[in-house]
Amino acid sequence: MKLYCLSGHPTLPCNVLKFKSTTIMLDCGLDTTSVLNFLPLPLVHSPRLSKLPGWVLKDGTLNLEKELKECAGRVFVDSQPEFCLPERELLDLSTIDVILISNYHCMMALPYITEHTGFTGTVYATEPTLQIGRLLMEELVNFMERVPKAQSATCWKNKEIQRMLPGPLKDAVDVWTWKRCYSMQEVNSALSKVQLVGYSQKVELFGAVQVSPLSSGYSLGSSNWIIQSHHEKVSYVSGSSLLTTHPQPMDQSSLKNSDVLILTGLTQMPTANPDGMLGEFCSNLAMTIRAGGNVLVPCYSSGVIYDLLECLYQFIDSANLGTTPFYFISPVANSSLEFSQIFAEWLCHNKQTKVYLPEPPFPHAELIQTNKLKHYPSIHGDFSSEFRQPCVVFTGHPSLRFGDVVHFMELWGKSSLNTVIFTEPDFSYLDALAPYQPLAMKCVYCPIDTRLNFHQVSKLLKEVQPLHVVCPEQYTQPPLTQSHRSDLMLELQPPPMPYRRCSVLNLPFRRRYERVYILPELANSLVPSEVKPGVSVATVSAVLQSKDNKHTLQSVPKAPPVAPSKKRKRVMEEPPVTMAPKPLLSGAVPLEAFLATLQKHGITEVKVEETADGHILHLQAEDTLIQLEEDGTHIVCDNNEPLRATLRDLVLRFLQKL
Amino acid sequence: MDSQCVSILPRVCGVLLVSGSSLPDDTSLEKLLDWFTTIAQTGTSLLEACPCLVDFVSKVAFNYTSGSSILSFTLKLTGLIGASEDGFKVLKECSVLKLVFNPQHWQEAGLWEDPCLRIGWIQGLKMILKHSEALSFFAQADLIEPLLQLQTDSSLFVASAANQTLAQVLLLCQSPSSVGHNGSKNRDLEHNSASMETTQNYSGIITKVSDYLNKSVVLKEISQLPGSQQILRLLALLLVRVGPPLRDTLLLAVINSLEELVTTSCSQLTVPLLDVILAANSGLRDDCVPKQRLIRLLWVMLNMKKPVDVMQAAAAVLRSHQSDPALSAHSARVLLLPLDIVTGVSLLDENSTEEELRILITEQLKRKSCISMICVCLSNIPQITLMASDCLPCPQRLIVTAVLLLLRLCCVDSSSSSAGCVEVVRFITGNSKVQKCALEALLVLSKSPGVKMVLVEVFKVLTEYLNSHSSDPSVLQKSYQAVIKWVRVCPDLSCITDQLREGFIQAVRKRACDTRWEARDSTVEFLGHLVGAPSCWAFTEQEMEPSDVLLGGCSFTVPLLKEALQDPESYVRASSISALAQTLTPSWQDGTALTQEQEDIVTQLQEVLFQDSEGFARRAAVKYFIAWFSACSSPSSCWLLMQSVPTVLSQGVADLDWEVKLHTLELAELVLDRAFSDPSPSHPYAVMSDQDHRLPIAGQQSDLLSSLKNLVDWGVVSALLCGVVDCDRPVALKACQLLLKLRGIVCPVMDNTADTRVFCQLAGASVMQQVRKIQEMGKDTCVVSEACSEADKEGICASVDPECVSVCEVLRVLDLDEKLSILTQSSDHIYNSPLSLLQDILTAAAASSPPGQDPRQELVMDCY
Repeated sequence: MKLYCLSGHPTLPCNVLKFKSTTIMLDCGLDTTSVLNFLPLPLVHSPRLSKLPGWVLKDGTLNLEKELKECAGRVFVDSQPEFCLPERELLDLSTIDVILISNYHCMMALPYITEHTGFTGTVYATEPTLQIGRLLMEELVNFMERVPKAQSATCWKNKEIQRMLPGPLKDAVDVWTWKRCYSMQEVNSALSKVQLVGYSQKVELFGAVQVSPLSSGYSLGSSNWIIQSHHEKVSYVSGSSLLTTHPQPMDQSSLKNSDVLILTGLTQMPTANPDGMLGEFCSNLAMTIRAGGNVLVPCYSSGVIYDLLECLYQFIDSANLGTTPFYFISPVANSSLEFSQIFAEWLCHNKQTKVYLPEPPFPHAELIQTNKLKHYPSIHGDFSSEFRQPCVVFTGHPSLRFGDVVHFMELWGKSSLNTVIFTEPDFSYLDALAPYQPLAMKCVYCPIDTRLNFHQVSKLLKEVQPLHVVCPEQYTQPPLTQSHRSDLMLELQPPPMPYRRCSVLNLPFRRRYERVYILPELANSLVPSEVKPGVSVATVSAVLQSKDNKHTLQSVPKAPPVAPSKKRKRVMEEPPVTMAPKPLLSGAVPLEAFLATLQKHGITEVKVEETADGHILHLQAEDTLIQLEEDGTHIVCDNNEPLRATLRDLVLRFLQKL
Repeated sequence: MDSQCVSILPRVCGVLLVSGSSLPDDTSLEKLLDWFTTIAQTGTSLLEACPCLVDFVSKVAFNYTSGSSILSFTLKLTGLIGASEDGFKVLKECSVLKLVFNPQHWQEAGLWEDPCLRIGWIQGLKMILKHSEALSFFAQADLIEPLLQLQTDSSLFVASAANQTLAQVLLLCQSPSSVGHNGSKNRDLEHNSASMETTQNYSGIITKVSDYLNKSVVLKEISQLPGSQQILRLLALLLVRVGPPLRDTLLLAVINSLEELVTTSCSQLTVPLLDVILAANSGLRDDCVPKQRLIRLLWVMLNMKKPVDVMQAAAAVLRSHQSDPALSAHSARVLLLPLDIVTGVSLLDENSTEEELRILITEQLKRKSCISMICVCLSNIPQITLMASDCLPCPQRLIVTAVLLLLRLCCVDSSSSSAGCVEVVRFITGNSKVQKCALEALLVLSKSPGVKMVLVEVFKVLTEYLNSHSSDPSVLQKSYQAVIKWVRVCPDLSCITDQLREGFIQAVRKRACDTRWEARDSTVEFLGHLVGAPSCWAFTEQEMEPSDVLLGGCSFTVPLLKEALQDPESYVRASSISALAQTLTPSWQDGTALTQEQEDIVTQLQEVLFQDSEGFARRAAVKYFIAWFSACSSPSSCWLLMQSVPTVLSQGVADLDWEVKLHTLELAELVLDRAFSDPSPSHPYAVMSDQDHRLPIAGQQSDLLSSLKNLVDWGVVSALLCGVVDCDRPVALKACQLLLKLRGIVCPVMDNTADTRVFCQLAGASVMQQVRKIQEMGKDTCVVSEACSEADKEGICASVDPECVSVCEVLRVLDLDEKLSILTQSSDHIYNSPLSLLQDILTAAAASSPPGQDPRQELVMDCY
């Protein structure tokens, strides 16, 4: 059993598990942090961005003015942003049988894997994962295609040139594999390969293994996966949460008794308590609005935003924000808000019961109804006529490199009254803000990450007791900035197996057993004999048939009677006479008793020599050797067949026959 | 004593004898006993007042078929009667005493098993032991044996009462020697010899007690642990209460056993053992032998194997302020060890004797229990700071540094690391218990010498806490307190740079918008408290108010507080009103002109008073006007204030919340006082002299008249008249007192001529009705009152408006004195009277007796 690790990002994993005869891809997360190296894509012409100076090496030997721009001491690529894909050289992607998706954030690389690689398998995901995942992909494509950039910068990727570049660009890895965003057509094609599954539904893969999704409590339809055969069980834990937010709670008990547990998607903010962060978010928001400023919340169009809106729903009145407009701007804003209300069966119990009242499960419906929350596909159109300040705007993309957020950063960045509040933990806020410097706007970092923290995960692992744990190497040491916090890492016995991008791990357990079926008629013919109380054995002679990963023992077919041939009779072609099988022997030959028996039979001159595995008896007069070993006895006797037969019979006396 | 009670008492005694079980409630007997005790305490002889009691006691004693509660009551009552020498004699004569206090008697009756009876026996005994007669009775009857047996009784109440009684016995035993020498110099020889004799008699008791203690202190097996703890508690009690010679005797008797007990190092006994040692230690001279042995014992305890025990011992030593400097210094070192280990700040120099303890504590700190250990360490820092500097292992400044580092380590957002024990960080990070203890320590440490150097550090850490998303509201509150405390002790805030200030302001501003109301409340409170801090030196080297230095003054504070007036939580609204009052007080005192903002606030506060659904906010609003009125040097010249007063008074006194009404009356009192104490505003520079107070009547009248008219105009009189008929007693009482005050000032001077009449309008029909009713009653009294002529009576009602009343007449007519005497009595004075208690007992007994037996039963039926 092997695990191929195609992504080094702990929360955007992409691993391939070879288990029995199947090849299963676990998630295909897209590492979008690479876009931080690019200039933002403004929706309307930005004089500031267009006037940024090009970058030239100090001594003038290297001039990449067209490709690279300098802003506040940092260099950015002036091109359409590119993403860092999962590793595609480690194994042949066309051999992948299935892809299991655990949540909508972990499927963004799907078109890169399923399209143009020869992939012919199936993708399994829950319905909300598929639908919201589609929204996120659509949004991404829309953000990119709305602002097409003719130029594609490639010179800077040249190894020799990259070596000379400053700052994070120099250290970016595998830049040649970075790819531009996929097209909508590719998205549709990729998503057409998805087959929907429900929690705890068992899906057979080629009869060899069974996969089954479990609720993971992180987002709508998010799941962990169990991959098991008759004798082995592998659990795949991706983004999971034990907090009471909107999704169905996590199913922990089904993870018990795993041989291997692959653990990914823990919180990226182990020290930021989500409740505290929500409070922080609200108080900073209220503070800014009261002072007459605007609040910008760069966020994804699904996920935490539902919780943020719910929290604000309760907070708006108590903080006297009743008259402040809240805007949600995204090409998929409407669908996202509406989808969240219809996936009732995937929601937590509280929200499920609301549906029967009937009430919308999320309170943002009421915010929309009372006109406190308004949503628009983009800043163009209706929004521009209804826009009022001071206000709160939720919009993407959280990297601040594309989407409507770029416009608001340009618009509000100059005033210290305004605040940008980061709630998504995926991007370093300082890096995100780098191309907007100098910035007068206040910045607040309230990353809300509801995924498991180290304390919760160690409790979980104590409970489910897997034999082995495999996890990204980042989890096996404390974070770099907090090296004294030994509680911010996984401490397990035996220690977890760490992986990094491009690792190939031999999972530390051997398959010992395989289930074999025996046909009834064959079973009928067996004659068991009891070797010790409660244990019977029988010899089986049969034909083993293996098909679709199922193994069956069938009776040996009787040879058809040979039709008398009028032609030449060939002796050699006679069917072998099915001789009764020789009895199987068991037991050991006791040395003392054997020597005594030999003596009785007149063999007196015996020299006994002790060996590693048993004894060698040298019958000196007969010039014969008897090797008595644990699993075999050899009689070496030249040209004296009667003696050999006698000795053989003497040995057999001490052994049991089946 | 009430004669009615005396007449009922024999019947009550009879009822108690017959049907003790059918009492109105469990507390009746206790209340009865309390009543007897109060009688005895007034100096009257209980037996003279209630002669039937002896008969009752002897009947119960000889016929013990009564229930255990009656028996217990009787035992206590016997003690109460016997507490006076006369009563004692009477009881002795009718041979009740011997019987009642003979445990054998109760044992034979099989009643001794009942703890209720035992407690009655002990408490009775304790009460009786007030005089030498009783003591000799105690000695002769050999009651010391049963009393000693009860010291470790299975019932904790019994054991504790037995402890107390034993202490009392010993106190009484030692009195001939200690009191006798001082007080009986002039007594005759005969008396002296008698007293010596008794002392000798009692030495037997003392020996028995000493032997008993010596034997019981040693812990023979673990099952005796509760008993051993009880004995140690007793010993501590005795050592604290008895005087020197007897205490030395006791101490010498037990010290060997104590030494033996210390070596058992049983954790559960550490605290009681320390109490004993410290109690014994406190009064001893340094050079006496037992003292040296006790100090040695403390050293042993400070070197025990379990770090928790050692810490407890060290804390106890420090708290007891005992005089051995080496011991105190060592205790301080022990207590600082965890802080030293956790933070890596070397508070202690290398000392090989502590190495073992350091290893033990380090081990302990790697477990979750480290929290309590660190908290013990931090909570004892106040004691450590009180020590002389030469006893301290390090300068206090270093302790502050260590506490600051600890606070940093505890803060979730901080990336600080320590050179100390790394394992502990996981337990203390974000632990609000440790955070609070550390902040508490930081509060105390603000007084330490030479710590002003670290003010910037302190300020940074506190800002970090205020900024941290994970700070619990209680931690935030403590942080605010610490800011105020440090600002108070540091007059020089010039080290607070603009950058620090900006960070602090942002944090405060953010907390004012916190989602948790507790955090918002603390923030608002802090803004108010900061104004009270003394002025300081700012960064610009000017003398400024701390709130100006830290927050930029009113321009920052007032808008924030105005926002808080709209808070959904009433506590926050109330706090913001109080804070506004505190913030504006300086400007009121200076008499600076009101700003538009202040005028807006007044409007908002009036809205609060009219509309707020919660009492807290309305109370605070009234208090705001009280503060304003008190701070204002000349309220009458502040138009807005004087314009608001009538509104506040009329609205406040009609409030539903009695505290709002009471505060409103306090405001009325202020206005009243100011109206009559102020020299008339018409001649503000008039020189006040004794003569001025005795102005010719005519002049006085005109001044008073104008003041009274003002009071009426401001609504003070209507408020008082409204208040005096209020259903809430404290409100009516206050109003009544104020009306009396007004009457005292106005009525003697004002004559009753029509032109001096001031009329007052009464608001509300019910108030009108009630005042009229009182007036009606007043009229009746007026008939017999000479002071009130017919003309007056007409005058009251003769006003044009039926809702108008003449103030002076009302003041005269209302029987305010009678009203005051009624209002000063508690509302339940009738139900709690002894007569009511006795009647209740009789009624309950009658209700439980079979029908037909009691003639009153029929009466009840008839009434029905």
